[in-house]
Amino acid sequence: MPGPCLDLRAVAMRYGSGAGAVEALASIDLAIEENEFVTIVGPSGCGKSTLLYLVGGFLLPTSGSILLGGKPVTGPGPDRGIVFQRYSLFPWLSVRGNIAYGLDEKGTRRAERDRIVEELVRLVHLEGFEDRYPRELSGGMQQRVALAQTLACQPRILLMDEPFGALDAQTRRILQDELRRIWRRDTKTVLFVTHDVEEAVALGNRIVVMAARPGRVKEVFNRDFAVPEGGEFDANPAFTALKLRIWRSVKEEVEAARA
Amino acid sequence: MPSHTDRAVLLAALNRAVPVALILVVWEAVTRTGWVNPYVFPPVTEILLRWVGVLFDGTVYPPLWDTLWRSLAGLAAAIAVGVPLGLMMGRVRWAEWFFEPLFSFGFPMPKIALIPLYVHWFGLFHLSKVMLIFTDCLFPIVLFTYHGARGVSPIYLWSAQSRGTGRVRMLWRVVLPLSLASIYDGVQVAVVVAVLVAVVSEMVSGGGGLGQLMIRAYRYGDVNTAFAALLTISLLGFVLYKAAQWLRERLLFWHVGEA
Amino acid sequence: MTARLALGLSRLMPLALLLAAWHAASSAGLLQRRVLPPFIDVMAALGGLIGSGEIVPHTLASLARAGTGFLVALVLGITLGLLMARIRVVERFVEPILLLVYPVPKPALIPLFMIWLGIGDFSKITVIALACLVPVVIASFNGARGVDEMLLWSARARGTSERALLWRVVLPAALPQIAAGVRTAIAVSIIVLVSSEFISSEAGLGYLIFSYGGVGADDAMLAVVIYLAMLGYLLDRLYVGLLRRFMAWHAFAH
Repeated sequence: MPGPCLDLRAVAMRYGSGAGAVEALASIDLAIEENEFVTIVGPSGCGKSTLLYLVGGFLLPTSGSILLGGKPVTGPGPDRGIVFQRYSLFPWLSVRGNIAYGLDEKGTRRAERDRIVEELVRLVHLEGFEDRYPRELSGGMQQRVALAQTLACQPRILLMDEPFGALDAQTRRILQDELRRIWRRDTKTVLFVTHDVEEAVALGNRIVVMAARPGRVKEVFNRDFAVPEGGEFDANPAFTALKLRIWRSVKEEVEAARA
Repeated sequence: MPSHTDRAVLLAALNRAVPVALILVVWEAVTRTGWVNPYVFPPVTEILLRWVGVLFDGTVYPPLWDTLWRSLAGLAAAIAVGVPLGLMMGRVRWAEWFFEPLFSFGFPMPKIALIPLYVHWFGLFHLSKVMLIFTDCLFPIVLFTYHGARGVSPIYLWSAQSRGTGRVRMLWRVVLPLSLASIYDGVQVAVVVAVLVAVVSEMVSGGGGLGQLMIRAYRYGDVNTAFAALLTISLLGFVLYKAAQWLRERLLFWHVGEA
Repeated sequence: MTARLALGLSRLMPLALLLAAWHAASSAGLLQRRVLPPFIDVMAALGGLIGSGEIVPHTLASLARAGTGFLVALVLGITLGLLMARIRVVERFVEPILLLVYPVPKPALIPLFMIWLGIGDFSKITVIALACLVPVVIASFNGARGVDEMLLWSARARGTSERALLWRVVLPAALPQIAAGVRTAIAVSIIVLVSSEFISSEAGLGYLIFSYGGVGADDAMLAVVIYLAMLGYLLDRLYVGLLRRFMAWHAFAH
């Protein structure tokens, strides 16, 4: 029985030293299995993004270990793809160029590369926009390209840092649905950070609630029921109940932080 | 059928031409009345006649060519050396530590003062001029590139890293395009500097070129030719600057925001 | 205080390293005397020039020329720029002229001005003034243009006359941008100064460089070049320092 896909053991992150040190994360233990979609919610300052960056290898923890498929994480790499909220695309490359970026870095042959790019363009419903540049695309479209760009590298785990946070509510719903559809088709392991509880429940089959000061895992919820296609979950009582439970948990932390 | 905006542009251009035309008319009138010594201040028409004359009899082309290619050669060398150097300074610690103070200290120093030294080292003809232009253009290019590279958002770099880009490739694959706007600002400054340095060094140390043509004309009392040379120099500077601007639009078409 | 000192010293290190390399190369015989004289010889020459006071009249001559031209351009340029920004007619008239003057390398005008105004200081000062005028006018114009209209409205509402408005409100608001243009003008003044002294003069730092270079007195020539570089650096630093003191009320990013 292979171990978890992603294993965080006693991961802590401290900034500064001595009296003025800030403990961004205090001993996080988290195990994520293959093909799980895990969402992380919490008040601002709880370190959820920091956690993501640690997994991504952009930051190094002050203590603890992060193992991906049993191997320790020492730096960034294509096995951990990341989609950021902003500045997610390279402005000087077209949609095609952006998606092909990781493939070019790998040295993929032209024909193969073009095939993959084509496939991904279709996957994110951007046919006809292949030669457009980021400045010509709407926020929602840009994030689709960012997702395609990340998927092109076939990462072991997909990291997403509030990717829909800068978009309007409508576009957000549409993209959540798209993401769910894509995940169902090519199941992957996903670690998704958000401050939106509804989004967390709609997407994740496991929802991690974090607390702030210091950042730590407070509670973990499981979504045992399926979310209907098309995202019509407002009328679903199980959904609303879970959402309420999680919201209460998060609210406690928000209020505690304010105190 | 000229559009409304075409007419507006034409009107604006005509508007601008009026004060210039006015000055030219006054100039012509004053010089014709004999108040001013025509030897010292020739009438506009004489100058233009002489200018057209040198264009046709070919006197102006060898010196024009000299000044032009020296400026471009020096500029090209400055870009070839300055851009990689500036990029390195922007992202590599030790490069910044070593070079930034050197360029900061050197900036306020008039590199023109090195003309006698460069003549001593490189002779009176092309090489000393090109080396001087290279030295003078290096500063704005390095400094603008450096600032551009420093200002690159780390999110882009993280994105690139998680798509498999190594440290060295990062510089020219990611940092360079993102700094291009700033680099180009430096190039535009450098273009003006290049012509200026070319002309001054030709005026001071001879060796062909429009600067020498102009000084010789003055020495032989041929004021009309001197003015014609001056006019050619100004046009050269103007054309190169406009060419640089035109090229900018083609290179930076993808750029968003403060270009 | 010590942190700043440490930073300052650390920034001097690369320069010190280069000078050390120069010295080492000369001592080792790798660098021939006729290509580049040893650093100590150059420093000795500099010491001699300063100690004997020989450099003083030349420094004064150069500074006087550059300074006068610069100051004239400062006063004229700011006034012109501000007027251009607030009075349409002035802008319409001056802008095309500026556009014409801009691509002309000002040192190229030196022989012309010498014919018009004689070979003395006056011609040089005029060219320097003209060269410095461009960055100052452009900066003043842009600065004045960028002034928040609300500031002007509230001043007018308080009874400020149009004239007073210019000096009391527009000028202070435009100062940061003007300050940047002035800094460029300082550098420009030195460049045009040296160019003009190369072309023709009998005194001044540029003249010294040119004449020493002409007779092959390389160590003296380099000594003056270094002296000039230090002077340029000091003037720039002095300007920035003055700016910081008098413009503490403006958020500055230098």
